[in-house]
Amino acid sequence: MAPEIRHRRTLGQILLLSAGFFVLVVISTASVLLVNKARSDSAWVVHTVEAENQINALLLEVRRAESGARAYLLTQSPDFLRDHEAAVAAIRPLLDRLATLVADNQVQVQNLARLRGIIETRLSQFDREKALVAAGDLPGAVALVRDVGSTDSSAIMRATAEEMRGEEERLFAQRTTTADKSQQLATIVTVVGSTLVVLLAIISVLLVRRSTSARDEAEAKLRESNLNLEATVDERTADLREANEEIQRFAYIVSHDLRSPLVNIMGFTSELEELRNDIFRRIATLARAVSAAPPPAEGAEPELEGADKQLSEDFTEALGFIKSSIAKMDRLITAILNLTREGRREFVPIRIDTRDLIEQIVSTLAHQADEANTTIRLEPLPTIVSDRLALEQIFSNLIDNAIKYMKPGVPGDIAIRARTKLGFAIFEITDNGRGIDPRDHQRIFDLFRRAGTQDRPGQGIGLAHVRALVRRLGGTMSVASELDQGSTFTITLPINWNASNRNSDR
Amino acid sequence: MTMPVTIIMIEDDEGHARLIERNIRRSGVNNEIKPFTNGTEAVKYLLGADGTGLDHKGHALLILLDLNLPDMTGIDILKLVKQNSFLKSAPVVILTTTDDSQEIKRCYELGCNVYITKPVNYESFANAIRQLGLFFSVIQVPPAA
Repeated sequence: MAPEIRHRRTLGQILLLSAGFFVLVVISTASVLLVNKARSDSAWVVHTVEAENQINALLLEVRRAESGARAYLLTQSPDFLRDHEAAVAAIRPLLDRLATLVADNQVQVQNLARLRGIIETRLSQFDREKALVAAGDLPGAVALVRDVGSTDSSAIMRATAEEMRGEEERLFAQRTTTADKSQQLATIVTVVGSTLVVLLAIISVLLVRRSTSARDEAEAKLRESNLNLEATVDERTADLREANEEIQRFAYIVSHDLRSPLVNIMGFTSELEELRNDIFRRIATLARAVSAAPPPAEGAEPELEGADKQLSEDFTEALGFIKSSIAKMDRLITAILNLTREGRREFVPIRIDTRDLIEQIVSTLAHQADEANTTIRLEPLPTIVSDRLALEQIFSNLIDNAIKYMKPGVPGDIAIRARTKLGFAIFEITDNGRGIDPRDHQRIFDLFRRAGTQDRPGQGIGLAHVRALVRRLGGTMSVASELDQGSTFTITLPINWNASNRNSDR
Repeated sequence: MTMPVTIIMIEDDEGHARLIERNIRRSGVNNEIKPFTNGTEAVKYLLGADGTGLDHKGHALLILLDLNLPDMTGIDILKLVKQNSFLKSAPVVILTTTDDSQEIKRCYELGCNVYITKPVNYESFANAIRQLGLFFSVIQVPPAA
């Protein structure tokens, strides 16, 4: 899958999720707002109904006062007077209550003011009636009542109240509609929002399914390429192993075949040596015969003189160089042969107590150590799975080197310690010997190369051999050293080495 | 038995052949030496015209064998000799540059009598040959009158 498509898809998913979240927030907010609005709408409806009730109650009380007053006028019974008084007492609070209820509506406030005026007038008429009755002027009171009845104050009052009721009813209708509308709006918003969310969810699910399948595809591809990679690695490893074996074979054959002519060179050099002896003996005999000296006693070697002697010595010197060179070449070829033979040897992993192993090595080297005035200290050493012979060669080479290159006149001290870390055993062989110049640290691991003062016999093979063995055992080795400061050789070997990584195809 | 031992020398390197011969002679062995420089000719001679080795019935042979031959390995010749009923009693001396212990073991398993590594050191080489010469003189049968 192309990266930009993947990128776009990811972006799409993020956008979709954001959109879903946004819609949810909008719906929630709208719902809260709409519910609040519906509640306030309902409150207003209730308010309207209450106002209407108050108006009705007010009218009722006014009627009661009026009927009480009239009954009192007819009967002068204090019972009716009390009834009237109670009604009148209820009127004012009802008016005030109504005033607060309709305070929000200018029309109603005006209506109420008018109503209040009429009612106040009416109440003062009641007072006057009551006063006339109390004064015993019944005809006056009746006249007053008639007078009042002649005016249409009651009708006006009723009309006003009706008007107010009408207004409240109008408000009621209006507010009910509004409340209904709010409710509807809330429902619509909820339904639309939910639909949107469901839609987004469906799209998301589809997208997720698509990306899941894309991921599965990618995983399958990855697995495939992993397999390919493994196959490639195996192939390369096999190639490398083949190349390595080829080199080993090559080295073996070359060194082997080099020996053949060397045998001839050495053999015929020795033949030449024999010839030389014959020739110079003859020359000596002839020279003696010419100089008429007495023949030498039977069996005695004739002596050479002057230039002849010089010639013979030159001859011997030349032959000596040839022979020593041949001997050196033979040692080198033998070393290469041994190395390649070692490289072809199959390693057998077994459990080895390295302390036992190194103790054995130390005991075989005890004599050399004594001569070099050197003590060897062993610290606790682990048990590992490896090839015994290889380990023996590694440690005996290193310990032998340490003993060999001590500082003259200084008591030697060699410490062998080990620690384990992450499946590897790390061995350190530390000495207080003459040390190695850091410039030579790489060189000492090369075949036939040596470093420092060349006062000890050796071919320059040991460390090259050790490093080759360590590598074949799946480990690494390094050196830390300064001139005159001693050396520490560090060898890291797997604790559980198995031959599979090396010899699986052998 | 009145036949002298014939030494069959199978050695492709002429220098080596010359050195071996000289040292054998120097140590006082005067038996006939038949040199071969390749395996094919040597096998032809050993098995004879009919390829059975019947020609050499009753002959006293000693075979000096180099392992590295241009056309075959000495091991093949060794096997062939030791499998042939007329030749298998002939002592075989392996003379080679290889000192690989596996190879040596193999040769002894196949029935070689002596295995001598050709040392470059001339003294020990001559010494080995001389000892071989003593061995020859021990088994040497006086020539017929």
